[in-house]
Amino acid sequence: MNEATFARVAEEYASRLYVVAYRMLGHRDDAQDAVQRALLKCFAARAEYSPQWAISTWLYRALTNVCIDELRRRRTAAAGARASSEVAARHTRPAPVGDRVDVERALARVPREARMLLALHYVDGLSFGELARIRGISVNTVKSQLARGKAIMRETLEHGGRRPRRPRR
Amino acid sequence: MDHIDDLLRAYFDPSQAPPTVAVDLARRADRTPTLDAEATVARFRIEASARGVRRLSVASRGALAGDRRHAERARRELIEYLAGERTFFSVPVDLAGLPEFQAKVLAAAAQIPYGDVLSYTALARAVGHPRAARAVGNALGANPVPVIVPCHRIIRGDGTWGHYAFGPRMKTALLALERRTPTLVGSSTTGIVCRHGCAHEQRIGEARRIVFASIADARTVGYRPCRVCRPEHGVPS
Repeated sequence: MNEATFARVAEEYASRLYVVAYRMLGHRDDAQDAVQRALLKCFAARAEYSPQWAISTWLYRALTNVCIDELRRRRTAAAGARASSEVAARHTRPAPVGDRVDVERALARVPREARMLLALHYVDGLSFGELARIRGISVNTVKSQLARGKAIMRETLEHGGRRPRRPRR
Repeated sequence: MDHIDDLLRAYFDPSQAPPTVAVDLARRADRTPTLDAEATVARFRIEASARGVRRLSVASRGALAGDRRHAERARRELIEYLAGERTFFSVPVDLAGLPEFQAKVLAAAAQIPYGDVLSYTALARAVGHPRAARAVGNALGANPVPVIVPCHRIIRGDGTWGHYAFGPRMKTALLALERRTPTLVGSSTTGIVCRHGCAHEQRIGEARRIVFASIADARTVGYRPCRVCRPEHGVPS
């Protein structure tokens, strides 16, 4: 793949990549950062791109890898801050209004892997097969993860998240 | 059609991205400081005993001293680490002869995971001396094996870097490097997840790499931890 083709592809996918990253990371700057890192990675490896892959699979895989790692880093940082009880004044979110905030809150309870799959599935309408290739898992795992994610969301939306969360294994 | 489906479709609507996102991205330059791994390690003087690495310092001309096996291995791992190809050191460290308190502080610092940071106060608390943040700073300042024992992962409580033996530029570069590098990499062919830098991980092709945030996440989609690098130890699950 040459540079011009890559630039065209990047431009075509930028907004969809951005929305996935934004919805996973929650900050505009972090989302731009993630998309940029993913695109740089793909650009560096553009010679290795083989046409047997769909371009979207390739780009989304790079992006999910960056986002997942960013979430990992944040979680360990947050745990460290909690342990040392040095939590700085946290940004208080605006009061919840309407569906959008409910969805956001419900999604926050969905485990990371399932949340990522939900984002990819609903941003670009990716098929189960493509989701499986992006995250390197079986189609059946994709189906069960999506179903589980939606079940957690349904429960949170219907019961207002008051039920105790099941402990993570 | 399900109510949840509609909500999710509206929530993830791609048309909400700013129209200029592609242009903005093109304008953003990659300003993160980078290190030349080979050139940096070429200036390290590495001393080792039969039990492990004893001392790492910067000299005008780098050298290996003492036990060749450990020193050579440390040099190789340092190059991989600075090139972003490794997130942990497997070469042993020999801290014998250090004062008890300092050994304790360094052992606690070595437990901080790659990519994470801790404050001096938090580390003081972790070694059981909550009021000894200054002493912890001194113990870290006299760290005989910087980088391998990651004293650069300790920063001031207000978020500023604090002192670093190899200078603030190096500390920034190391923390930026750790921020860019993923730690847990799975192979979609084998369904095994390794620490970045494991011999098995280095053989995973670019198209087969899957990054995971934690071992628990990897397990939920059917991946198992590698039996060689044992990522379940040393990386928070």
